[in-house]
Amino acid sequence: MTDFLIYLIEGALIGQVYALIAMGFVVIYRASKVFNFAQGELVVLGGYLVWWMVLGSGLPAWVGIPLAFALAALTGIVIERIFFSRLVGESLFSMVMVTVGLLVLLRGVFLVIWGAHVRPFPMIVPMRPLILGELFISRSLLIGGAVTVVAAVGLSWFFNRTTAGLRMTAVAEDHQIAMSLGISVKRSVAFAWMLGAVLSTVGAIVFLNGKSLSFLASDIGFAALPVAMLAGLESIGGLILAGLVVGIAQGMAAAYLDPLLGGGVSTVLPFVVMILILFFRPNGLFGWKLIERV
Amino acid sequence: MKSFGRTVLAVLLAGAAVFAWALPASLRAAPVEYNVAGLADYSGPYADVMPLISDGRKAVFTWWNKEVGAKLGVQLNFKEFDTRYDTAQTASLWPGVLADLKPIMIMGLGGPDVAALRQRLPDDKVPLLMSTAAYGFAWQPETWFFNPRPTYAHEAVAFAEWYRGQKGAKTLKVAVISSEASPAYIDIAKGIEKYASMNPTVEVVETVYTAVQPTDLSSQIRRVVRKGAEALLIQTNTAVVVASKRGLEAAGQGGIPLMMSSHNGLAASGKALGGLEQLEGSFEVYGIASPADTSGSAYKFYEMLRNDFGVKAPWNILAIQGTEQALYSVRAVEQAVKKVGAANLTGSAVREGLYAGKIPSEATFGFLPDLTFTREGPFPVRGLTANITTVKGGKYTLAAANVPVPVVEKW
Repeated sequence: MTDFLIYLIEGALIGQVYALIAMGFVVIYRASKVFNFAQGELVVLGGYLVWWMVLGSGLPAWVGIPLAFALAALTGIVIERIFFSRLVGESLFSMVMVTVGLLVLLRGVFLVIWGAHVRPFPMIVPMRPLILGELFISRSLLIGGAVTVVAAVGLSWFFNRTTAGLRMTAVAEDHQIAMSLGISVKRSVAFAWMLGAVLSTVGAIVFLNGKSLSFLASDIGFAALPVAMLAGLESIGGLILAGLVVGIAQGMAAAYLDPLLGGGVSTVLPFVVMILILFFRPNGLFGWKLIERV
Repeated sequence: MKSFGRTVLAVLLAGAAVFAWALPASLRAAPVEYNVAGLADYSGPYADVMPLISDGRKAVFTWWNKEVGAKLGVQLNFKEFDTRYDTAQTASLWPGVLADLKPIMIMGLGGPDVAALRQRLPDDKVPLLMSTAAYGFAWQPETWFFNPRPTYAHEAVAFAEWYRGQKGAKTLKVAVISSEASPAYIDIAKGIEKYASMNPTVEVVETVYTAVQPTDLSSQIRRVVRKGAEALLIQTNTAVVVASKRGLEAAGQGGIPLMMSSHNGLAASGKALGGLEQLEGSFEVYGIASPADTSGSAYKFYEMLRNDFGVKAPWNILAIQGTEQALYSVRAVEQAVKKVGAANLTGSAVREGLYAGKIPSEATFGFLPDLTFTREGPFPVRGLTANITTVKGGKYTLAAANVPVPVVEKW
C-alpha cells in the first residue's frame, strides 16, 4: 500500500511538471492560436539562461534567477519581433511552420553559444526527500507541483478576469477582428511569447533542478504534449487535471506494467491516453468548443 | 675536350643517382592515395565529444601516412561527414559519399551507422570499422562492420564478475538502467539479462527503462535498491547517470556504485554532476586503454601524437576511442597491402586484411588488447579483456587492468 501511495504521489507530481511545461504551449496558443513546436527548445533556453546566470557567472541564485527570467522575457519579445510580427493576419499554418523553423534554429544557436556539453544544473530546490512515515516524497517535485498550481491559478485569473487577458483571447479568436476592435495584435502576441519564455524558464528550473542540462533536454516539450492536448489547448486550469491523469497513468505503468512487460509502457502510455481522448473529444477535456453562426 | 664532356656527363649522372638514392621514399615514387570516410556527429547527441574522437582519428592517419604509409607507398586521405548520430542521416548521406569519395573503409561512430549501413555494405564492398563496443543485434557471421571491443553487455558482465570477486560474494545483484530511446540500449539490457539467466553469479533484479533525460527516477531507484541491487549498470548517457545518482541520494543509498561505459564515463558524468568526487566508488568499464594509466605505451604514443602531430584533445577516453579506431584500421590496411600490394587496395582487401592475422596489442601501442577477428562475428569473440577505472579519494584511478571478458551466449 505504501508503494502504491508513493507511485501515486510521485506520478501526480511529475504530471504537474509536465503541466508546467505544457503551460508554455497553452499561453502562446491562447494568445495567438499558434501551436509552438519549439516549446521544448524554450525550456532548454530557460535552462541555459539559469545555468549561465547562476553557475556560469557565479551570481547568487536570488540574483541570477530573476536575471534569467528577464533575459528569457527579452528573448521571447525578440522572437516575436523577428519571426511573428510580420505574419499578423497571415495564415496560422505559416506561423506554425515558423515555430518548426524556430525549433531547428534555436537548437543550432544553443550548439553555437553553449556547445553540446552536458552541464550540471544548479540545485535551486533541495533534493532531499520529505519523509512522512514510510512515504518518501521528492521535495523538488513537491515544490514544483505547488509552483504549477499557483501559476495555473494566476494565469487563469489573468486570461479570464483582466482586460489584457481578454484582449489576448480576442486575438486568438481572429487577428483581423481583433485589429478592427482596436486591439494591438502584435503587442498581444509579443506578450504571449514573453510569458511563454518566462514560464518555460520556470519549467526548466523545476524539471532540471540538481540534474544535468544539454540541448537534448528539449524532449520534455514532447513529453508534455499529451498533457496540453488532453487539457485542451486553451485551458490553463485544465492542465492541472490533465497533468494528474497523465502523470499518475505514467507512474503506475512504470511501477506495475514496465517490470511485468519488460519496460516501455510508461513512455508510450501518455500518448495512447492522448490519442484516445482526442478520438472522443477532439478539443481535449477543457478546450473551447467553437460555435460558428452562418 | 671530348673527354672533358664525358667526365662532366659521368659526374652529373653519378650525382643524379646519389640524389635519387638520398631522396625520402615518399618522393621517390608518389604513394597511391586512398580515401577513408569518417562518420561524425557534430550536431547531435555526441556533438560535445566528437572533436575529441576526431582529433585522435586524424592524428593517427597523419602519423601513419608519414611513418608507415610512405614506406608502403600508400597514403590514406581521411574526410569526415556529419551524420548527427542519426540512422536516417547516415543512410541518406552514404550513397553520395560512396560515389564521390570511393572510400576503402569507413570510420563509424555508433549504432545508427551500423543500423543504416549493415545491409548494403556487402554490396558496396566497403568495411565499416567502429571504435565502440559491439551490439548483440549485429552479432552475426561474415559481417562488413567490425568492432575492436566485445558487446557492451560483455563489458558490463566483465565488470559484474570482477566486482563480485572483489566483494567475495557468490552472487552479485545488479539493476540495469536503460532506455528505449535507442535499439542499442535495449540490446545491452537484453545481453546482460541473458548472461544473468545462464549464470547464477549475476542476478538482474530489474531493468528500468527511462527517457534519455529523465524527469525523476527516485521511485524506480528506490524499488531496485529494495530488491537488493548492489550496483547499477548504466550504459546509456550521462543524463541518466545523473538522474540515477540523484535517485540513489534521495533513497539514502549514495554508496551503491554505478557502472558506466566509455561514452558516458566517470569524467563526463562527474562533470555533469558538478564534480568527479560525486562519483566516488563508481566505475567505468571498456575493452580499451584506460585514461587513468599515464605510464603505459598507449599514453607514450599519445604524447608523441600531441607533440609531433598536433593533437589538441587531452588524454581522455574519447581521444583514446578515436585513436584506437584509427590504429587497428591502419594495421588492417598494412595486412591488406601485404596480401594485395599497395596499388590494389580495395574495401574487400581491407576486410580480408582484418581477417589476415592477429593484430597484437603492441601494434596498437596497448590501446587495444590482442585482436583476432574471425568470420564468426564482427568482434573478436575470444581472448578479450577489459579495463576498469574508478574514483578513489576523489581521484581518477585504474581499478583493474586486463579483466577477462566472460563468455556470453548470443541473445
